[in-house]
Amino acid sequence: MSFSSTETPGDGELVRRARRGDERALGLLVQKYQRAAYAVAYSVTGRHEDSEDAAQEAFLVALERLDECRNPERFAGWLMTIVRNRSRNLVRREVLRETDQVPVSASSGTPGPDKEAELSELHDVLRQALGALPEVQRQVVLLHDLEGWKHREIADRIGLPSGTVRSHLHFARRALRDALGGHEAIEDRRRREG
Amino acid sequence: MKDDLDREGRDMEVASYLSLLDPASSDPNYWMRFQSRVLRDAAPELARRRVMADLTVGDVLTAWSRTLVPAAVLAAAMAGLIAVRSPAVSGPVAVEMGVEELLVLGIDDDPIPVALESDESAATLAFAGDRF
Repeated sequence: MSFSSTETPGDGELVRRARRGDERALGLLVQKYQRAAYAVAYSVTGRHEDSEDAAQEAFLVALERLDECRNPERFAGWLMTIVRNRSRNLVRREVLRETDQVPVSASSGTPGPDKEAELSELHDVLRQALGALPEVQRQVVLLHDLEGWKHREIADRIGLPSGTVRSHLHFARRALRDALGGHEAIEDRRRREG
Repeated sequence: MKDDLDREGRDMEVASYLSLLDPASSDPNYWMRFQSRVLRDAAPELARRRVMADLTVGDVLTAWSRTLVPAAVLAAAMAGLIAVRSPAVSGPVAVEMGVEELLVLGIDDDPIPVALESDESAATLAFAGDRF
């Protein structure tokens, strides 16, 4: 069973094929939703490694329970619920760690010590700003402004009215701008990126 | 502060902050590796699902009969063994009886059919006696 390169099956079809063990179908679902799963996990855990673990686990749990996904067309919303639950469980279980703040992958690009320190500082600032937001606002702003999901998609997939999503997005953006707008490290980076 | 939105409605200022959180910002192959790890860990479950999907109705029936037939044979053998080894029945013995015998069973006096079993001449005399 395979897809041609131009074929873009919908979630319903991909789920049905994955249920029959089609690796490519699962691969496409992972490719499509891995960033969003990570973003949702991050909105709960606030840590890179925990988010990575929770998002990966969520895909595996979703595969095992794929037959319970009653509406395959709405796979994304169902998956995000699993991601949130896994992330919350992880946070509950986890003893707070002190030293894994910088993503492992970030250091694999071999930045110099200055660059690494700067990245670490930027992450700390951003994490603090995000940490001050309610979880739902973190989710909404990450899914919208980082992952590019539309209001309607977010509303549909996290089970909120579209107006509420807009409202959360508005307050989250304002809070982030207030917290980060004048920060030196952030502004330097923005200027360099043009 | 005026929002600086892109065509998809994303706030570019906020998006630039949040892009720091994307692991791929410092490791372009991050998401490929992520996907590979998920697929690697999912391989046993995918294989199980493929096997289940390939099973036909005939396969299911064959698998079912493989269990059922030996169980039935075993049950029959055990039943036979129990029947052979059980002691003889000591209670009332069933005797073959006709319906007529069953109908008069337990009646002390001669039943009507017995009373009527007199010979034909006697019956005639009795009848003649009644007439005179």
